[in-house]
Amino acid sequence: MARLEDLTPAMAQRLRELDCPVYPSAPFVAGGKLSSRRVAIVSSAGIHRRGEPPMMPGANEFRALPASLPAADIVMTHVSVNYDRTGFQRDINTIYPIDRLRELAREGVIGSVADTHYSVMGANDPKQWDALADQLVDRLRQDRVDAVLLSPV
Amino acid sequence: MSALGHLIEQRGIATVALGIIRLHMEKVRAPRGLWVPFELGRPLGEPGDVAFQRHVLLAALSLLERTDGPVILEDYAEEAPGRLPRDGWRPAVDLPAVAIPAAESSAAEWVAALRAEWAPLVVRADTTIGGGRLAREHWPALLAGFASGAPPTQSPVEGLRPVQAARYAADDLTALYTEAAVKPGDKPSSAQVLDWFWNGTVAAALLRQVRAACLASDDRVLNLIAGQFVPAARV
Repeated sequence: MARLEDLTPAMAQRLRELDCPVYPSAPFVAGGKLSSRRVAIVSSAGIHRRGEPPMMPGANEFRALPASLPAADIVMTHVSVNYDRTGFQRDINTIYPIDRLRELAREGVIGSVADTHYSVMGANDPKQWDALADQLVDRLRQDRVDAVLLSPV
Repeated sequence: MSALGHLIEQRGIATVALGIIRLHMEKVRAPRGLWVPFELGRPLGEPGDVAFQRHVLLAALSLLERTDGPVILEDYAEEAPGRLPRDGWRPAVDLPAVAIPAAESSAAEWVAALRAEWAPLVVRADTTIGGGRLAREHWPALLAGFASGAPPTQSPVEGLRPVQAARYAADDLTALYTEAAVKPGDKPSSAQVLDWFWNGTVAAALLRQVRAACLASDDRVLNLIAGQFVPAARV
């Protein structure tokens, strides 16, 4: 569905020409069985706790989403209007699969669910995200997370 | 998200990235990625479909057990059934027939038309509305001010410019309609819901007029934000 040929020509061209970062290294962290992993979600949907200021373009920050935060207390302020939001409106798991992750933990498929998950503004430039990544990884380590699911919009 | 996968993995934590634009995944070369053939905005594919979401999630998480990287990039084969129009779907709300104001209408005319049209719309208990931090009763005047070329000088939302407040009010206005259009259990495609909203409502006409007025403004900030009121595919 999101193949470039399915999008408007202007949008397909913009995405085709998007300046993606190219890295000289290719890190790879091997781990144990999924059943022993503690998993966090990091979403680029610009979602955050209701009442917080919007996630602004250019602000290279992340927002914390406690696992206990009810879906009704989460809003989305992504800068782009060029993607579907009706799926999110019907079911937050369409972009932030927190309930599915909990189910997998209950069944022992994964070890556990992190206490806190995170959101960034996916429209910002990841080439500016080194400091963000430092802070984010510090937080993940404090939560003993050893596996991250990255979920885009 | 592939880029953030690289940055997190570089710092010692394993990652797997869902991805919707395969070309970007190929360029960034994240440690582990699962390309999903879903529409933008639906990385798990299907709202309300626990089994489908679970299958996607397991396909992604299973890559964490692979040791043959970097780089692992797999494709998820199954399309989301909800991409197709649902036969017989109808919006869950009947809007009153309200004439869409002409482009040159006054702010008061836009406000009156919007209030008349949205009267039957009720906010859900589990609504996603609220990102704009502005109560619903303030949206019409704020947006109509921009539509009529007379934007407010004072922002109704602390910390935001007036046009930023209007931009997030526009998101909330759209959600007011599109949430109300789908009753629990209904499974319309996104296109069905968005066609209904963008092809005939006063609200959509108002957002298009805000966009046009912002593009025509001498204010560079308004020019920049104009494109955030209406999706490119709905201009």
